[in-house]
Amino acid sequence: MAAVRVLTHVSRVPRPGARPSTAVAPIAFALLVACGLGCGRTSPPGAASGGDAARGAVVFALAGGCGCHTPDGGPPGAGGTEIPTPFGTFHSTNLTSDREHGLGAWSDDEIDRAIRRGELRDGSVESPVMPYYRYAGMSDHDARDLVAYLRTLPASPAANRPAEGELPLPRLAYRAWRLLFAGRTTAPAEAPAAGVERGAYLARHVAICGDCHTPRDRFGVSIPALEHAGVPGGGPLPWAPNVTPDRETGVGDWDESDLSNLLETGFTPEYDNVQGAMAEVVEGKAGAPGYARAPASDRAAIAAWMKTIPAIHRVVRKDGADPAGATAPAATEEKRA
Amino acid sequence: MTQSIRSTSGSWARAIAATALVAAIAVPATARAQAAEKHDGHALPAGPIHDRHEIMEDMGRAAKAIGGALKAGKPADAAAPATDIAAKIDDFLKLFPDGSTGHGSRAKAAIWSERAKFDSIGADLEVKATAVADAAKSGGDVKAASNAMFGDCKSCHDQFREPEQGE
Repeated sequence: MAAVRVLTHVSRVPRPGARPSTAVAPIAFALLVACGLGCGRTSPPGAASGGDAARGAVVFALAGGCGCHTPDGGPPGAGGTEIPTPFGTFHSTNLTSDREHGLGAWSDDEIDRAIRRGELRDGSVESPVMPYYRYAGMSDHDARDLVAYLRTLPASPAANRPAEGELPLPRLAYRAWRLLFAGRTTAPAEAPAAGVERGAYLARHVAICGDCHTPRDRFGVSIPALEHAGVPGGGPLPWAPNVTPDRETGVGDWDESDLSNLLETGFTPEYDNVQGAMAEVVEGKAGAPGYARAPASDRAAIAAWMKTIPAIHRVVRKDGADPAGATAPAATEEKRA
Repeated sequence: MTQSIRSTSGSWARAIAATALVAAIAVPATARAQAAEKHDGHALPAGPIHDRHEIMEDMGRAAKAIGGALKAGKPADAAAPATDIAAKIDDFLKLFPDGSTGHGSRAKAAIWSERAKFDSIGADLEVKATAVADAAKSGGDVKAASNAMFGDCKSCHDQFREPEQGE
């Protein structure tokens, strides 16, 4: 950090004779550095210790078994799954209790900060591929229990792999991204206990439905006006259907039992079964629990909440031929139904 | 206990950081977005891929009708759609000639390399669908029979159908 501060200091002094056009970049860079170092500070850590691992298993299931972190064939949480993005190809990290490659040597607070604030042990900020900004609203209690559960994952010696094709200066970029785009989400001490409120909480901050079902802008930021309105295929992001209650383009003609049934069995009302990523979060991966093993009342709460979100009329083509595109809300054909 | 992500930046800092990020991200991201706009939009041409797709759509509608009958507490209404599924599967299995891939088909190569297994699930589906129809006509346990039949749907999809792109 000291070296960066020096760089900041030097960059603030214009070189004699430097043309304004060449001076802009270093100044912008310096401000970005200063901003990244000084403006993205987070609140002090909460007490993440003393969680209940059994209850944490339920949180883990509701988080789709943290499926990104489990490789095909397991073991659960060992990481290494390839995640292609427009900003490089990332590899999920090892969450198991291995002391060298996993979280075994991390404190409870450190794990909590990584999940909910995107902070790593060395103080750097995670890439937004890890949706910490959605988990930021996870209750203190749920986070504490989730951490306790993660500690029970048998150690895997799988080494973490660096991303490929990242942006230049990734540490700065991710810190700036958090500053600009992560938003300010306040976590409750306790999650809502039941009903639509609980469904909203689970969908937004634990199951994080919108992370896959919402298109992103060119900065990788989910577009709020199109939350849950689907992502077209053929682009840099995986296809995901519109799950808003629009009757024509979404799931508006599904009733709550259809929705909760999919979260339990993976079957649509036509008894087609979801495959791929959705199947992984429903069934869990490599024996780890997914939505199917969460309490039925929680699946029902998510289903009830899904009936309450805004219906967005938006065709999401699987083949990428969608004139709407994935990243340009102004050019899309969606409208609020 | 409450945690939050906080920032104390002024708007100037956001503006400058945004500018820097634009420089870092916008160009490559735009290039990739343009590259991604290629598409394979198409209507299925006449032939086995089209025909089997149509049959699968019909079977989906029939399956939905069975689910609807169960939800409505009218299990007897499952008889007709179950009979429909049992009647269609034989034709469906004949619509996978060698080389019938492409055009967005999600058929896996395993259909041809493990043809006997593929056909056996189809044959079992006919048995299970007939059992649903029989249960519906005789006041039997339609739900249990249906779940057994739906298990064949899933089993075959998981083994012989590619996930949606990116799914």
